[in-house]
This record gives sequence, structure tokens and C-alpha cells, in this order.
Amino acid sequence: MFKLFNNKRLFILLITLVMFIVLMGFSLGSRKSLTWPENFLRDTTGFVQSLFYKPAGYVAGLFQDIANLHDLAEENERLKLMVAQYTREKAQYNFIKSQNESLQKDLNFREAQKNLYDFELHIAQVISLTTEPSNNSIVLDLGSKDGIKPNMSVISTEGLVGVISQVSNFTSTVKLMTMMDVKDPNSQPAIAATVQDKEDNSFGMIESYDAQTGMLQMNKIPVGDPIAVGDTVISSGIGGMYPRGLTIGKVVDVKVGDYGYTSTATIDPLADFQDWKELFVVFTEERVE
Amino acid sequence: MRMRRSVLVLVLFLLFILQGTILPWLMPDSWQMRIIPNLVFIVLLFVTVYHHRHTALVLGLAFGMLHDIIFYGRILGAHSFAMGLSAYLIGLIFQLPRAPLPLMMSVVLLGSLLQDSILFAIYSVFNLTQVPYNWALLNHMLPTMLFHFAIGLILYIPVRRQLELLKKETRKEENA
Repeated sequence: MFKLFNNKRLFILLITLVMFIVLMGFSLGSRKSLTWPENFLRDTTGFVQSLFYKPAGYVAGLFQDIANLHDLAEENERLKLMVAQYTREKAQYNFIKSQNESLQKDLNFREAQKNLYDFELHIAQVISLTTEPSNNSIVLDLGSKDGIKPNMSVISTEGLVGVISQVSNFTSTVKLMTMMDVKDPNSQPAIAATVQDKEDNSFGMIESYDAQTGMLQMNKIPVGDPIAVGDTVISSGIGGMYPRGLTIGKVVDVKVGDYGYTSTATIDPLADFQDWKELFVVFTEERVE
Repeated sequence: MRMRRSVLVLVLFLLFILQGTILPWLMPDSWQMRIIPNLVFIVLLFVTVYHHRHTALVLGLAFGMLHDIIFYGRILGAHSFAMGLSAYLIGLIFQLPRAPLPLMMSVVLLGSLLQDSILFAIYSVFNLTQVPYNWALLNHMLPTMLFHFAIGLILYIPVRRQLELLKKETRKEENA
């Protein structure tokens, strides 16, 4: 019966198939840390990749800069205006901040509550990327030696980009928001979100990304929520994994959901998921695991 | 033989680095999400046709695993499986040391479609992708096929020459 395949080869074939399914199943579950062969491979390859990615970016950037030369003066003007405004608001901010702190002290806030909204940004260089739709990820040049932990948020200058999925000693992988999916058990958790300037009245959960339209889906918005088309959506910090105040996207559409109890909003992400240079990793006070 | 073979592995590694670092800069923005370059796999298709399918199988498994580990977002082993299997299957059908250019180019088209389809199948089995197959086909598989076709044309002469040298060396070693 097994004339077609000889027995030994068929045996090896089946064993390999089973091994692969076991490997895929095993790696599908959530993992806290990587094994040493993975660490070694990622760190050595990451080093070689970092030698290539940045110089290529400089060369590509040079041509872009020459093309953009005449826009520079205009941009400079605009930035000066913004700086002036910023210094004015900074004084205001410092005043409100000190007031807020003294009020918190009066109200006996716990230490944990005080640290709730503290976060700092660490700059990270992209060293390589893959644009494959089902596994869209970026490799950064910061690793566990720099204090990176899985599930930290990663932002670009435009907005939220994704979360750290795997960390080795000197590199880490970012899982982009484009891979958010309610049906995937290991997808990054949903983002508790709210709307800028309506922070107290608005709430929703950003749960999935639609690859076909390139839009994020915000669900569980209560009826009567003031969310409207054109609003900027930011993370609300509820639930703990994503720090408060990261910009996510703009609302392009609001619809009443299937059963009429909640609404659903479609959100155009602000980060454009291409031409990566520097990204920022958000370090919070011991709130990620 | 040792030398040629390690040159092959080094070139594949270099291509792997290039496709993750330099290619995204050369690609126009609007194509970035639609073309998923896999230079390593194109060279593997050449290896499987002009050299031997077992070499291609082993290299495919190894470099697929490298890709899986470096860009570890969801599961390990998907690329390893897809690249190894499709390079082997293509070799099983098309292993012809004298294959002319048109045949080789159709192999590149077919192989790239096969590999992307296997990947899509793996992700669907584990419920990691929700898009329908024909959308994925039009959105990224076909553009990727065409891109691989163009790269295949560029690589045809240098890669084939190297593989012929590799073959000659292997034969010499076997005779000795």
C-alpha cells in the first residue's frame, strides 16, 4: 500500500508535520520570556540589521530633504509660533500641576494613585520590519537590558502604533495595531478610549482593525455619548495597560450597533504604519506585566 | 564545495537582512502594505530547480525559522513550514538542471503564489486572519508575485551562474 512513499520517508514526513503543529500551537500561547536560542538569534541578527537600516534611512531622507527645502522656512515660522504658545501654556501647566499635587495631598491619595498617570518616553530606533498583513511587526533596538517589558505601548510622533510583543536582551518586537483582532486570543487587549475635550462623558473600547478598509473599530459606546465625526480619540487609561492620553485616531463614522444598546465608531488611525524612523516606548510605573 | 555552499548561505542571509531593512526604504509608500518582498525565497526557488530540492528544503526551513523568530508577533514556524514545503514541492515537479528562462519565471510566479497561499492557510487554521482569500489574493499576493517576477529576472543570470559553479564543485568532490 505504501509503494508510493517508502515507509521511512513517510514516517519522517509525518513526524515533521506533527512537530510543526506542536511548535505553532506552543508559540501561539502567551509567553513571558524567550528561550536562549531565540534570544541569541534575535540579538545577533538585530545587530546586523541595525547596521543597514539607519544608513539607508539617512540616504532616503537626504533626497526627501532636498525636495522639501522650500517648505522649511514656512515650517520654521509655524514652529516658532507654536513654541511661543507652548511656553505660555507651560507656565499655566506648571501652575495647575502644583495645585493638583497639593490637592492630591490634601485628599490623601495613595502612592499608587499618584503614579497612575506618570509616564516617560524612551526613544527607540527601528532596525527592521516586515509588512506582511497577517504578521505585521517591527523590530526595535531596545531590549530587556534597557528595561523593556512585554505589553508596553509604542507610539510615534503621530499616535499610538502598537504594543511590545516579545523582548530579547537587546531587541524587541512591536505588534502593530493593524493586528488587533477580537477573535485572536493573544491579540493585544482592547484599548479603553475616550474623546479629546469630552474626556468625562465619552467612553468606548477599540477592539479590532479591519485590514480591508484600514480602519479601527471602537465598540461598546453607550447610547447618548457625545462622540461625533471628526473628534480625536485618545486612550483613557482605564484598565491599566495603555497609559492615559495617547492619541489614536480620528472618528470618521458613528453608527448605532446591532441591538441598539451601544454604538460603534469607525476610527482612522493617525499613525500611518509606514516609513518608520524613531518610535517611543512608553514606560509606566510598574503597571505592565 | 564547502566554500561555495557557505557563500550561498551568506548571500541568503544578506538578502534576508536587505529585505527587512533597505527594501522598505526603496518601496513607494503606497506599495508598502501590498508587496511583501521575500528575496530569500526567490533564490531558494532557483536552488530547488537548478540544484537540488533537499538543499532547498533545509535552507527554506532554516531561513523561514529565522524570519519567524526575528519578526515574532504571533506564532513560530509558519514561515519555516511554508517556505520549506513550497520550495520542496516546486522542486519535486520542476527540478530540471537545464530549465530555460521562461520556465524558471513561471516557477517564480507559481512558487510565490504557493508560498503565500500556504501562509494564508496556516493563519486561517489558527484563526489569526479574518479576511477572505480572494481579497488577500488581489490585495497582496498578486502584486507580490509580480514583484518577485521582476526580482527573479534581475537575479536570473548571477544566481544561475553561481549554482552551476556549485554543481560543478559538488560533482568534482563526489568523483574524488
